Amino acid sequence: MKKLPAGVPWIAPAVGLLLALSIYPLIYSIKVSFTSEAGGFTAAHYARLFQDRLFAVACWQTAEYLTVALVVEFGLGLSLALLVDSLGRGRGVFRAGLLAPMLLPPVVAAVIWRLIYNPQFGVLNGTLRAAGIPAQRLTWTSGESSAMFSVLLVDIWEWTPFLFLLLSAGLQAIPQEPYEAAKIDGASQWQVFRDITLPLLKPTIVLALLLRAMDLARIFDQIFILTQGGPGFATETVSLYIYRTAFRFFNFGYAAAMSFVALALTTIFARALLRGMRAGSAR
Amino acid sequence: MRIGLQDAILPYVALCFLTGCGGSPPSLVVAVNAGVEGDALKAAAREFGSAQSLDVEIVDLPYANLFEKELLDLTSRTGAYDVIMIDDPWFPRLAQNDALAPFASQAPDPDFLQSCLDVCRLNGTYYALPYVGNSQLFFYRQDLFGKYGLPAPATWSGVLAAAKKIGAGEKMYGYVMRGAPGNPVVADFLPLFWAFGAEMFSAGGAPAMDSQQGIDALRFMLELGKHSPPGYAGFNADEVSAHLLQSTAAMSINWPAWIAAMDDPAKSKVAGKIEFAPMPSEKRKGVAGLGTWLLAVPAASKHRDRAFQFLYWATSADPMKRAALHGNPPTRRSVFLDPGLRAKFRALPAQLQSLESARPRPRTPRWNEIENAFGIYLSQANAGTLAPDEAMRRAAKDIAGIAAR
Repeated sequence: MKKLPAGVPWIAPAVGLLLALSIYPLIYSIKVSFTSEAGGFTAAHYARLFQDRLFAVACWQTAEYLTVALVVEFGLGLSLALLVDSLGRGRGVFRAGLLAPMLLPPVVAAVIWRLIYNPQFGVLNGTLRAAGIPAQRLTWTSGESSAMFSVLLVDIWEWTPFLFLLLSAGLQAIPQEPYEAAKIDGASQWQVFRDITLPLLKPTIVLALLLRAMDLARIFDQIFILTQGGPGFATETVSLYIYRTAFRFFNFGYAAAMSFVALALTTIFARALLRGMRAGSAR
Repeated sequence: MRIGLQDAILPYVALCFLTGCGGSPPSLVVAVNAGVEGDALKAAAREFGSAQSLDVEIVDLPYANLFEKELLDLTSRTGAYDVIMIDDPWFPRLAQNDALAPFASQAPDPDFLQSCLDVCRLNGTYYALPYVGNSQLFFYRQDLFGKYGLPAPATWSGVLAAAKKIGAGEKMYGYVMRGAPGNPVVADFLPLFWAFGAEMFSAGGAPAMDSQQGIDALRFMLELGKHSPPGYAGFNADEVSAHLLQSTAAMSINWPAWIAAMDDPAKSKVAGKIEFAPMPSEKRKGVAGLGTWLLAVPAASKHRDRAFQFLYWATSADPMKRAALHGNPPTRRSVFLDPGLRAKFRALPAQLQSLESARPRPRTPRWNEIENAFGIYLSQANAGTLAPDEAMRRAAKDIAGIAAR
């Protein structure tokens, strides 16, 4: 009987699972994106993408959401990480407290915020009214202009701790020697931050931004719970539009085509981000 | 080290034992909506299972997932479910391509209300039976109508006048409605739209919502919106009902599932003060939207005979009466007229009246997509970003594109 190499049976389950759960569905979804409702080959789904105004709007809104959330969450996360890192005692307590929002499942966080945002019965407007601020017409998730801001606020509240956590870990990994040398040389706080902290933190920053950007590009759960993409189409994102097309309208071909375009856009964005950061490091 | 094929297979055999491969499959699998409408069916399935000594498995799915799971099962013909619960607008899509098993008898019991039976048929063949007789009702504050000497809301113009008067006299909103995109805003708009004489499609099948009647209906909805709580453009059923329960709004369109909460003093500040009526009229007689839940058997069911046996039993008069005691509106006239039930549920006469004339959403397999497109523009109009005529014109254009695909 033919003998198999000793390792084959032990790696076969992992390879089998990878093939069954990742590679096969990926190839299958490529096929689906080129399949018409009648079952024949078609490139019409990709052609339709260029005429679909709603898909373009969803892409634009996703990019807007991603950019604002990433910039604000990074700015706040870095500031908090620097602040907590500079603390002597009580650092652990602050760190644990700041991480609390991130520990909530996004769906739970969204449900809580939906209650908070309720214009008549919510805590937010209730507090504003109690403070004498006329909040009667502050409609948060229901207003065309305020809905995107409201969902962004929830994202920032929940996911700033993620960036804080990564950047905080990065700060702790920076050796103390350069700081001591800078102190002896009489460098200012800003010079220390710009010339020591930031360059040494750069690998962590790249990783944190990349992970968060990829997560933001597929934002779904919070918006689904808070606004369902509304009012009108004001908070619709690519993931929500793909979900609706696939599972509400059952047009898997078009949904698969949109997914691949979204994947391509995310890849281009990630590569651009990496290249930009590398170019920054080279300077 | 080299090992033989037998040795290679051994870990898998062990894994199979450890994970409990095999075991007997359930003898009846029922897919149920995880909501008040599904609770009675769950109880019925358990009762049927114990009476017939069957191993019944209930797959409890939230509304948003039920459709996709059922459609996946039906299109791939996996036979995962033996009986499925279907919201009636889904029926044209799910019954396509003989995915549902046809009924042997094509003359269902005449005790079923005709409006409920009509949505169980495709090309003259019955593929389902109605289980929950849902149709919209008009909820209004009887006490306040009495206080201000207002007649019962018979027309939409009367509703607007009452909303103005109650809103001006009380610390509350005269009206409240669902304005969230998609199903919520469309479902609350359609009774108004129909009462103004508008139609979604012309006799030839072309989108017709941008008719003058359709635009007038949307203008009227925006007028009602002025007497609704701010932010109603994002409201769904829970916000609308919260306003009624908390006595911060006086009128709304609602579904029978909320009747029990309105009369429950533990949940409601208005117990006994809300009256339930059929839809107001305007240029045409008022009709409610139909939202009947149906029961059907997938063609690929592995236990088709048993599934039909359960389906016929669950929709017969006695189990349906027990379901009505759970709060489910029946689909049989005899159950609606049952004196015991009428004594217990005061809204039953209005529910029967509403259900008899209720109108289904347009019967097209693309309804979900059409409803979504229509809902986006209605929601934008209610949020104040699109004028009513522009919203209807855009909706008609998009829906024509969907219909042409």
